[in-house]
Amino acid sequence: MSLIQVEDIAKSYGRVVAVDGLSLRVEEGSIMGLIGPNGAGKTTAIKIILGLLKPNRGFVRVFDEEPWDNPDIKPKIGVIYERAFFPSRHKVFDYLKRVCRIFGKPESRAREVLALTRLEDAYDRTVKALSAGMLQRFAVAHALIKEPRLIIADEPTSNLDPEARRELLDLILQLHRDENVTFLISSHVLPELSRVCESVAIINKGKVWAAGSLMELSEKLGARTTRISTDNPEALGELIRKLEYVNRVEVDSRGVSVGVLAGEDERLYEDVPRLAKKAEAKIVGIETGTASLEELFRLAVKSGQGEDRR
Amino acid sequence: MRKGRPFLEIFTYALDEDYRFPILEIFAFLFALGTFVFADFAPYGQTEEALAYSLVSTLCGFPLLFIFVFLILKNVAYGLGGDLEKGVMQTLFSYPLKRRYILTAKLLSGLGIAVLLFFGIQIFGLFLLAPDVILTYPSTVFLTYAAQLCSPALLLAGLVLFFTLRLKRGGLAVVIGVVLFLAGLIVSGFVTSIAYGTGSDLSLKIWAVINPNSALQIYYYNMGMVGFAPKTWVPSFSEVLLYLGAGYLVVAALFVVGYAYFDRRLEI
Repeated sequence: MSLIQVEDIAKSYGRVVAVDGLSLRVEEGSIMGLIGPNGAGKTTAIKIILGLLKPNRGFVRVFDEEPWDNPDIKPKIGVIYERAFFPSRHKVFDYLKRVCRIFGKPESRAREVLALTRLEDAYDRTVKALSAGMLQRFAVAHALIKEPRLIIADEPTSNLDPEARRELLDLILQLHRDENVTFLISSHVLPELSRVCESVAIINKGKVWAAGSLMELSEKLGARTTRISTDNPEALGELIRKLEYVNRVEVDSRGVSVGVLAGEDERLYEDVPRLAKKAEAKIVGIETGTASLEELFRLAVKSGQGEDRR
Repeated sequence: MRKGRPFLEIFTYALDEDYRFPILEIFAFLFALGTFVFADFAPYGQTEEALAYSLVSTLCGFPLLFIFVFLILKNVAYGLGGDLEKGVMQTLFSYPLKRRYILTAKLLSGLGIAVLLFFGIQIFGLFLLAPDVILTYPSTVFLTYAAQLCSPALLLAGLVLFFTLRLKRGGLAVVIGVVLFLAGLIVSGFVTSIAYGTGSDLSLKIWAVINPNSALQIYYYNMGMVGFAPKTWVPSFSEVLLYLGAGYLVVAALFVVGYAYFDRRLEI
């Protein structure tokens, strides 16, 4: 079941087109990452999904319902923004108790989420007295109070120190594993995203440029990397570069990293022994792996000049 | 989940934000002090009913009115605008409540408490100062307060609500509110001058729709209240009621526009 369905949405601010024909589906029980360069349209897409913005065109459903001004879906969705916004004069525990009452949860839930986010020491502090990192953790606690089925997070690890980032990612994995919570996470910190996300959608110029699991994307985008270890990388690299199905060659002192077009891995494996013989290079090893999220992201930014590769 | 609970929680949150100590106490003190100080400045009237009007309109006139209006601007423009500007509204929108109820909770806190405070103190003061006035002329007292509440208080609140939602900036909306309030005072003087200069009562009638208190004022001046008033147009009592109704319709229309915008158009 798709918890989020977005079909061909568009949103402009005057002449500035923020989202243009974006489509996306987030399945129940999945963790989907949303990546893209600044201004790609990630936050606008998230705001449309949350019912804070109205798309100029397109179809949006969250839990099979229209999100704009719909209180029925609110208890099911937890939201974590890049910058947390809360009434600043309230005390941390008092405010969370109020949120518990709003969602019909026992006040003990406030203590639970404070413990879960390591904010036990901040019970009596006012929200405005929290550091940026603590405020971000408070936002996570606030999102968890209602025990949501879906959490939408826009740059959730910004403002967090490395330890707190690791803890938040662990918490995401724990919630996903133990309570089957679905996540849609937008982030620039790609190694973190690749650690928790089962699938990603790469957004560029307001549309989804590619979406799927890392493996699917690597294959679809031809971003799988074959590493050839050799004693003569320079000469071998020169010959490999001339192959028409190769789109990337990086040479270092120990070997050659090669990116090929989708479905051409086998041809490379066939051609390498022949080229090695010609270059008088001894092949020590050869293996093909999935491209990293950074490589996919770089590809999206570099070659996705508005082109839809889906 | 009980539907009323989220509304009450957001309402009490809004109260906490609008009237944190000692804001409410300071305004209550100013209203109470002003009520008793300015009672002495009420002009005399040749009839008791005109005197009753004179006393009440002096009590809720400038500068107490300005303090009241400023409290409304602080809560509606600065409070609501601040929530929009700082992003707190995004958090409020994550709660299980229709947008219109969130706005109602904010306005009930911002306007409702200010109105209760202002009129509560005034009527209590009036009972102490001149109990005969309230007991003998309750309709005059009620009408005068109703007219003052309509314009400038609620009229300004409706206008500022719309500007606040459009601009999403509390400070700027407060400035616009103060400018509109002062502009209203200036226009009021111009309207009378135009009526005198042209001998036409059209400008007075148009102004009476926006500010029904001006119709009430002319009505009581004609009844014998001491003061300066145009004689080009003297409304009957039923006309005064009509203008008051029209004034409230204008206010209601402004709030309907504000609610419709908040419900259907406001993007954050």
